Amino acid sequence: MNKEKDSRVTSSNPFREWALRTSNDKAWGERLARWMGKVGGALQLRWKVGVPKEIPWAPLQQPLAKATVALVTTGGLHCCSDQPFVLKSDASFRAIPRTATAASLCITHEHYDRRDAARDLNLIFPLPRLLELEAEGIVGHVAETHYSFGFTDNPHDLLSPAHEIGILLAQANVDLVLLVPA
Amino acid sequence: VGLLAREIEACGVTTIALALVRELAIAVKAPRMLFLHWPFGHALGEPGNRLQQLTVLHDAFSMAQAAPRPGLVVDLPYQWRRHQYMPIDDWQVLSSAFAEAQARKE
Repeated sequence: MNKEKDSRVTSSNPFREWALRTSNDKAWGERLARWMGKVGGALQLRWKVGVPKEIPWAPLQQPLAKATVALVTTGGLHCCSDQPFVLKSDASFRAIPRTATAASLCITHEHYDRRDAARDLNLIFPLPRLLELEAEGIVGHVAETHYSFGFTDNPHDLLSPAHEIGILLAQANVDLVLLVPA
Repeated sequence: VGLLAREIEACGVTTIALALVRELAIAVKAPRMLFLHWPFGHALGEPGNRLQQLTVLHDAFSMAQAAPRPGLVVDLPYQWRRHQYMPIDDWQVLSSAFAEAQARKE
């Protein structure tokens, strides 16, 4: 099982792969990964972005059954036909059409154990679930285009691409964005 | 994802972000965040657990509709692999997990 290889997951070096799997399979590994995520993330946020003062606020203008919903993930997901993310650090984004199938999507990210996400895309990108909810009339529309980021070691680099997708989503008349972390 | 949520919401689009690290969720000051004490790469839960995934979506949509103020971080109560998920009868009704967690905050 541990040896399983998935061509849709960009492989990392063996030591890192072992560490990532340990962070998922062992309780101590999960605690260590969580601590590293907490400390590393908090320091980067403070040093490179600063402490924000105001919080933007745009309340939902539509009932859910009429709203257009889009997804943004930071799970390193991209169409296999697209340029993969740079594993070390990459602040660019990839567009993913609503017609994308699990088989056509790849994961390029080396900071979490991708095995479960590769098995069930919904864990990092619940597009299949959203399409079901759209068919049932619970969600108005699933947007035509969704977005994905990879791993970046400098959160400040994300601000400009994030603003860019904000404009794209607004232009596409998206009402609600669900953001899913890795 | 909190930073992304801030920038997107600043463009006028409502955002709801899931978070797996509570301290970061608080520090980043995103408009609306739902914290799950689950492993990285599993924000929607376990592979193949449809009810669990729908429960998270219901909680997220509930918060998107009903969060009373910016900057709220709501802790969801589900224990990893120890919670029994139920079908959602009515998506129009706000999730009780969100409502209860929010009531604890206020």
